[in-house]
Amino acid sequence: MVQTVAWIVSLFFMLMVVAVFSFVAWKSKEKREYEPIKKKWYKARTFYGITLVSLMLIITIYTLRELPYNQPVYGAGNDPTIVDVEALQFGWNMSQTKFLVGEPVEFHVTSKDVNHGFGIYDEEMNMIAQTQAMPDYTNKVYITFDEPGTYEILCLEYCGTAHHLMKTKIEVK
Amino acid sequence: METTMKSRSNLVVSYITVGGIVIIVMMIFGILMLLAQGGVLDLPATSFYQFLTIHGTGMVGAAALAAAGVMWYFLSHYVDLSKKVMSINLVLFLVGVVMVIIGVFSFKYASSWTFLYPLPALSASAWGTVGALLYLFGMLILGIGFLLFYLDSGRAIIKKYGSLAKGLGWDVISGKKSEKDAPSGAVVASTMVTIVNITALTAGATVLIMNIINVINPSITFDPLLAKNLTYAFGHIFANSIIYMGVIAVYEILPRYTNRPWKSSKAFLIAWTMSTVFTLIIYTHHLLMDSVMPNWMLIMGQILSYANGLPVLVVTAYGALMIVYKSGIKWDIASGLIYMSMFGWIVGVVPAIVDATIVVNHVMHNTKWVPGHFHMYMALGACAMIFGFMYFLAKEDSNMKTNMLDKIAFIAFTLSIVGLSGSFLVSGALSTPRRWATHIPEWMAPAVFGAVAGVFAVLSVTVFVIHFVRYINKRNKVGAKEDFKDKKLA
Repeated sequence: MVQTVAWIVSLFFMLMVVAVFSFVAWKSKEKREYEPIKKKWYKARTFYGITLVSLMLIITIYTLRELPYNQPVYGAGNDPTIVDVEALQFGWNMSQTKFLVGEPVEFHVTSKDVNHGFGIYDEEMNMIAQTQAMPDYTNKVYITFDEPGTYEILCLEYCGTAHHLMKTKIEVK
Repeated sequence: METTMKSRSNLVVSYITVGGIVIIVMMIFGILMLLAQGGVLDLPATSFYQFLTIHGTGMVGAAALAAAGVMWYFLSHYVDLSKKVMSINLVLFLVGVVMVIIGVFSFKYASSWTFLYPLPALSASAWGTVGALLYLFGMLILGIGFLLFYLDSGRAIIKKYGSLAKGLGWDVISGKKSEKDAPSGAVVASTMVTIVNITALTAGATVLIMNIINVINPSITFDPLLAKNLTYAFGHIFANSIIYMGVIAVYEILPRYTNRPWKSSKAFLIAWTMSTVFTLIIYTHHLLMDSVMPNWMLIMGQILSYANGLPVLVVTAYGALMIVYKSGIKWDIASGLIYMSMFGWIVGVVPAIVDATIVVNHVMHNTKWVPGHFHMYMALGACAMIFGFMYFLAKEDSNMKTNMLDKIAFIAFTLSIVGLSGSFLVSGALSTPRRWATHIPEWMAPAVFGAVAGVFAVLSVTVFVIHFVRYINKRNKVGAKEDFKDKKLA
């Protein structure tokens, strides 16, 4: 799950930051000439900078391979189900709410009034996809449900004082 | 010279005091919201969203005001800033705040501080035209004050250094001037903030006026995607500029404590130019879930958000660590908070960069992961810079001693903000949506934990602000005595 990976990666690097700042704070009690420290640390910075840029490049290339904006390539005879979604204060108009496992689905999401967010949650209430619902524009979500169950649609952009009530259910069999 | 310094500090302490007090009040609203989400407090949804609106607006506004005070204090050592403009900004800030408060609490206005068009006009009858106009005009007045402030800083920098480009040290980068003549960190950072915030405030004023027109006459409409771009261009830049103003305190205070110079090298200047450019254009990472945006802009949003981490990770934070390492620094509350602020900034950058990754954003955008990272770099980063400056100024101006309570508050502040931000991050990993008045039971525990952490945080900040107010009292008494002596001598 993406959330778990994001959490572990963040925790790892955050703990590294804690370790570095703690180490420097611990060593701050000693007193040494600054010039040799600068010389040594500037050398280390070149290595650190290159490592960091390389790491960022690798992660960038890896994570940009597949983007949620790209329409999947559908096989012959496997055309997607297009679902028109219209958000409005404080509910959803959807052209279809029942789907099959393995059926490619495209949610075409717009709004009748203000900005809303279209978030799809699985049965364990983990978010699996989202897009913004905007007046005058149509954003798309491409998804193929792997598991049967009752999924929930939650509004994920603050849209007024009943924002938290703006949810609905879809069925996947 | 002493008289000038003192009168300059009067305005600076006003900025910091107003900022500090507003931050405390806003923290209380934050705690109430977390208690409501945790199921502990029965708060009507309308009140929750009013609190949400005032919390966001107040926190960004107050921290920006206090950080502007920090910038003014140090920048005025290098250039000739206008006290009149600084006073006007404070007055306009207070007028704006009063209008916002009346709009939110008397007229139930609750668009959140991002006021995404056309929400101010289309509230589903939750608030009316008067509330919306009070809020939007209040924000506009507040913005005009800040705009004047940055126009003045730009004027002063251009007058002294020749141009804003020279304020960023481009003549040093190009080799026309030697590194030893480079502008100080305070000037470089102030130039950067001047450039980005004039842009941000112009974008903000534009979208505020668009909303005002739409509220007055709903038949006049605007492009919602354009409005969204302008809103995030304003919000992202203005909120982030707080930390870039606050870091001036780090550049100025750490060298004094370590007796080590922090000079503007070429790498330092290039890093600040990078920060200037990136800060102006990376706001698109707030629009990663708007696939109607040109895809290249969204991909650049991710790439540049990563790149934006480099100047701070490789230059500023690295420089702070280097200057402290084996320096024999004398730790006190001021130096402790300043050092902690760099930690808070860097540790908050990590989950921020993770969230700027499109595939992650796809399942974490607008979850509590977002307040998780910005509470780290805003509270433990930017605010710690401001609080560190408060202790520094008190010590520098009055030799006021800190006590055990200040030390406890420092530790409690650090731990509580880590706890609060951590609870938000856990909530985000659990897919808890942000800006929701109620939570399902599975989402409640981290909210309650965050509220408890928030209580310790607000107590700690109260100790910081009380220390600062005690310093002002002491300073006023000394000032009055000196005035009396001067009169006697005359």
